[in-house]
Amino acid sequence: MGMEQAWLLPAIPAVAFVVLALFHGYLPRQGDWVAIGASIASFGLFLFVAIDLFDQLPAAGAALVNNTAGFDWVEIPEIDFVLRIGFRVDQLTVVMLSAVTFVGMLVHIYSTGYMKGERRYGWYYAVLALFVASMMTLVLADNFLLLYITWEGVGICSYLLIGHYYERRSAAEAAKKAFITTRIGDVLLLIGIVLLWREAGTFDMSEIFHMAEEGGFDKTYLTMATLFLFGGAMGKSAQFPFHVWLPDAMEGPTPVSALIHAATMVVAGIYLVARVMPLFEASFDGALYFVVAIGLITTFLSVFMGLVMTDIKRVVAYSTLNSLGLMMVALGFGEAGVGAAMLYLFAHAFFKALLFLGCGSVIHATKRQEVSELGGLRKKMPITNATFLIGALSMAGMVPLAGFFAKDEILVQANDFNIVVLVLILITLPLTAMYMWRVYALTFLGQPKDERVHEHAHEQAPVMVYPLIALAGLAAVVGFVVFEPVGEAIGLGQGFLETVENVLVADPHHFEFDWPIAIISTLLVGGGLLAAMRIWSGDATIAKEAGARYRFAHQLFLNKFYLDDVYQWIITNVVIGFGKFIAVFDRTVINDTGVDGPGDVANGTGFLLKLQQTGKMPNYALAMLIGVLVLAIVGFSVKG
Amino acid sequence: METAAEQISLEAFLFVAAIIFSLGVYGVLSRRNAVQILMSVELMLNAVAVNFVAFAVYTDPELFRGLIFGIFVIIIAAAEVGLALGIILNVFRSQATVNVDEVSELKW
Repeated sequence: MGMEQAWLLPAIPAVAFVVLALFHGYLPRQGDWVAIGASIASFGLFLFVAIDLFDQLPAAGAALVNNTAGFDWVEIPEIDFVLRIGFRVDQLTVVMLSAVTFVGMLVHIYSTGYMKGERRYGWYYAVLALFVASMMTLVLADNFLLLYITWEGVGICSYLLIGHYYERRSAAEAAKKAFITTRIGDVLLLIGIVLLWREAGTFDMSEIFHMAEEGGFDKTYLTMATLFLFGGAMGKSAQFPFHVWLPDAMEGPTPVSALIHAATMVVAGIYLVARVMPLFEASFDGALYFVVAIGLITTFLSVFMGLVMTDIKRVVAYSTLNSLGLMMVALGFGEAGVGAAMLYLFAHAFFKALLFLGCGSVIHATKRQEVSELGGLRKKMPITNATFLIGALSMAGMVPLAGFFAKDEILVQANDFNIVVLVLILITLPLTAMYMWRVYALTFLGQPKDERVHEHAHEQAPVMVYPLIALAGLAAVVGFVVFEPVGEAIGLGQGFLETVENVLVADPHHFEFDWPIAIISTLLVGGGLLAAMRIWSGDATIAKEAGARYRFAHQLFLNKFYLDDVYQWIITNVVIGFGKFIAVFDRTVINDTGVDGPGDVANGTGFLLKLQQTGKMPNYALAMLIGVLVLAIVGFSVKG
Repeated sequence: METAAEQISLEAFLFVAAIIFSLGVYGVLSRRNAVQILMSVELMLNAVAVNFVAFAVYTDPELFRGLIFGIFVIIIAAAEVGLALGIILNVFRSQATVNVDEVSELKW
């Protein structure tokens, strides 16, 4: 039981999906145990696969491992087209799979409590199972075509789950927005894949990477193709300017937000960029600079917007955008940044899912999500309070939680890359701490703003509490895997960062704790937290005064920098305007002139000709006479 | 004996026949009464007959083949008049008029 059985990992949830989709109406409890059983089985199998991989990986600093298993499903040799269902297991895959299987399992269990009594309960689990299957295949795929297919697969699952409460107009609109925005990214991704296939003649990833490393691609062409691939990552990972769908995606059930829009799907873009890093390395440097720029813009936008939002889920969504931006920036540093990005991804999966599930508990207990109606839940929901606090501090990057190590590594890489980028990221640190503390304080601390809501609040069922505890534990300690002893203890053979970098580089750089940066970041985070404690304590008068004084900024952030309005303007005026023009063109030119035209001409000619039939004999006689005369004249003139 | 050929030219006969024919054509086109149209047709036929006979006298003195054509024309005219009058009578019975301008049921 090891890497050869990796194909079973997505197969089990896929079967669960088919069973649930067809039979959820007939099964007891609508079949949630099918999905939960599948997720637990997947997690167990994942452990075997991971152990097998690290057993077979030679000791630290060794050669790369590349093993795939699969079969060619569709083959058209004449045009070099092969659709191969191939699975490859390596360290990058294992990091992603750990997040997908573990958080997936917890979300499945949590949903039994959260979604209890909700409509379409069985279908919810069916789509969750399909999502898990698609996501796992995505990270296991060894060729771009399979990656693209599953990329679309997770997109459709996201659409279905965001729109789970589709009777609500806002949910249907949000699902549509998510799908269409990521669709633009998907088209770019497809173009990139086709560009690569055109030159390489294959979809296989390792072959393309080999070709890129040996210089088989024209550099400009490769840069172009890589940027198109990055376009796909921008869409799926909600980078600027495609970030607009993620906050709206909070219309879906909270466990969905935890799994899809925090831990797994949105990081598919991060995974993609990490996976195709060899292509980035072989392209012009501008490609990576672009990645850094986009990541920084996304981070800054989201930090400012998170400071003013009042819906707790939305604030956590903006914190996800913040994290995604940081991960992209890290990847923009090149091969050196992949380790940092994957560490952050790993930690983020746990603390972000924790934050979302914590929100879910609050929402489930109080039926409210606005901070103006919450507050003072600390005494009523102690476990949720404690775990949420751990998650928030981990997100802020407080030592010694997981988020601290993750952020720290990114800062170290930024220091090596460019001092300006380092300073920019450092600026976001206190801001992040501030808005995370803000949302925690306004929800759990202080006086309850709505007594009736506060009365009924209580800790939820165990199925909803235990996942929180498990995730909190991980969010606290998982950062220590960067240290070699810890890494060796859990079987990696080396520290986490070296393990991940081994995928790309034969001799990865060793992790060293950078004291100056660690101290600076801790001071900034601590400062941010203290400032937030002062600003949002008690009645939050300081915050309200600041909001009144900096009215322009406050409105700007609250309206999401008016980007949504810009997009809506473009849609109504440019897109639909163009559509109207096309409609008019279709109606007048194609239909009225092209299709109806010949018919109308025939009709008109017939109308004119029929006037000849007067029914009066003298007219006919005249016609005959004229005919004879014409014949005579022509005949005599021709005959000569 | 002096034949007509030495005293009157052929063209004269043809000219007369042409005039009569033209008058007949004018009558066919401008008359409103069906019987008058019929009379004009008769004029045209007779002009044709004159034409035939004139050619026979001047260019075929031995066999007079044109004369045979002339007899044909008379016979056909007679038959045609009988037929035409029958049609006019039928039309009159159904439409109560012989004005050709008013008999236009086949108008579009």
